[in-house]
Amino acid sequence: MRNSLLKNRVAPAAVWFVAILIGWQCLSWLFLEVLELPLAQSKLPYLHELTRTLLDYADVLLTEGAVTFSNAALGFLFGAIAGILLAILMSISKWVEQLTFPYAVASQMIPILGLAPIVYGIVHDDQISRILIAAYITFFPVSLNMLRGLRSAEPSAVELMYSYAAKPWVIYWKLRLPAALPGLFSGLKIAAPLAVTGAILVELMGATQGIGVIMLRNLYYGPSHNYMFWLTVITGAFLGIISYLLISLFERILTPWQPEFRKTGGED
Amino acid sequence: MTTTQVYTPEIELDHVSMRYQTEKSEVLALEEVTVDIRKGEFVSLLGPSGCGKTTLLRIMADLIQPTNGEIKIAGGTAKEARLAQKYGIVFQSPVLYDWRKIKKNILLPLEMMGVSKEEREKRVDSLLGLVGLSDFKEKYPWQLSGGMQQRVAIARALAIEPEILLMDEPFSALDEFSRERLNEELLSIWSKVNNTVVFVTHSIPEAIFLSDRVFVLSPHPGRLSAVVEIPLPRPRTKELRNSKEFYDLISVIRDCFEGV
Repeated sequence: MRNSLLKNRVAPAAVWFVAILIGWQCLSWLFLEVLELPLAQSKLPYLHELTRTLLDYADVLLTEGAVTFSNAALGFLFGAIAGILLAILMSISKWVEQLTFPYAVASQMIPILGLAPIVYGIVHDDQISRILIAAYITFFPVSLNMLRGLRSAEPSAVELMYSYAAKPWVIYWKLRLPAALPGLFSGLKIAAPLAVTGAILVELMGATQGIGVIMLRNLYYGPSHNYMFWLTVITGAFLGIISYLLISLFERILTPWQPEFRKTGGED
Repeated sequence: MTTTQVYTPEIELDHVSMRYQTEKSEVLALEEVTVDIRKGEFVSLLGPSGCGKTTLLRIMADLIQPTNGEIKIAGGTAKEARLAQKYGIVFQSPVLYDWRKIKKNILLPLEMMGVSKEEREKRVDSLLGLVGLSDFKEKYPWQLSGGMQQRVAIARALAIEPEILLMDEPFSALDEFSRERLNEELLSIWSKVNNTVVFVTHSIPEAIFLSDRVFVLSPHPGRLSAVVEIPLPRPRTKELRNSKEFYDLISVIRDCFEGV
């Protein structure tokens, strides 16, 4: 079992990853040495140069990354809670849905790039505006997917509850909420990396700390700071991936019954 | 009224009619159905699709309300019976909650009634034993076959020890072999609980094999066309299916449909 897991999943993934790195390195060499493109290393830097810079500045990337991540996480948490609550309200009352849903959709049409300075102008604090933007981005996909999940309970499953003379809140607690978990998690998985991106965006527009701040700084310094700039971009992507993986891990722990996590097709 | 009543009525439907309003017209699903089911009796509601047999069961379960007619379930109204948990119900599909293990699925109605955790734990083993699924306590529903899932649904319906068991074509999604086996198992379960069972089916042999009486319904509009007594002795075993009496009863019931 363990061996086959190694063979079927880990090994191909590792081979693929190494292949990408080799491809990257070759392309980088091609740009620099063969095609002799101007600013070739800004287009695709050598991996060994990136590694060298990473070893020198790992602590900076880590501390700044942690600031961004914790702000994004906090915003994500608030946004998710708000999204879940609104979804529950909308599923209870058509009236609430009709009143709020068009505005929830419309709110998503506002470009974040324009919203961030407005929010900053109101709160005058880069931490709070990062948290607010991350929450704002999280809110919608969570709410939408949660609402779908709440409505996914089968009519017969609801009828069973009715036959037990169950109170409405009991039906929510024992049926609708558990049935909504897969939907909730797909919403959270969409939202988590977006929350990180949103936090970085706010940082780009002016902040004192965070991965976005050093990203912008190294971009200004020009080609001499190229490797560091690339590393900030990679760190940003890495934060997004971590956030996604964390949510996936929670999903696996909390909803092991979902079809995609089922081990065998069945017995008998 | 000089005759002594030899049985207690458990379910009484008096001139029950059900009309549905569709966009184009009004559909009469049930017309003036009058039914009397005795306490401890196993009856089937038999008929082709469109005869209103499921509608009739749902009326008994208070899942829908009839347009006309009187209903008495266990001495009260259908709603009172539902609120007091007088019946357990088994649907066509098992309707198990995916996120609950078998044990927790069976205990759901007891949880709803506020039975204490210790008491629930005590009951789960006998319920699992009753339907022969003791080894599957900690499994999830999808790890069980369709027939096993339906047995879980039966155990869940029996968890509250209801006076009445309502079953809406519970085995119709299963293959013929599983269905016959489950018929036998259902009878053996019933011999231990001895409550009143109302069983909806469109299979003539199934209705005969299980029931004390078969209520034959005809479609368009749904009407009670005959009540057939099944005098076959109990306990009933699979050999019974090959007996002459069994075949005779099949013809009797077939004839009920011929006239329609």
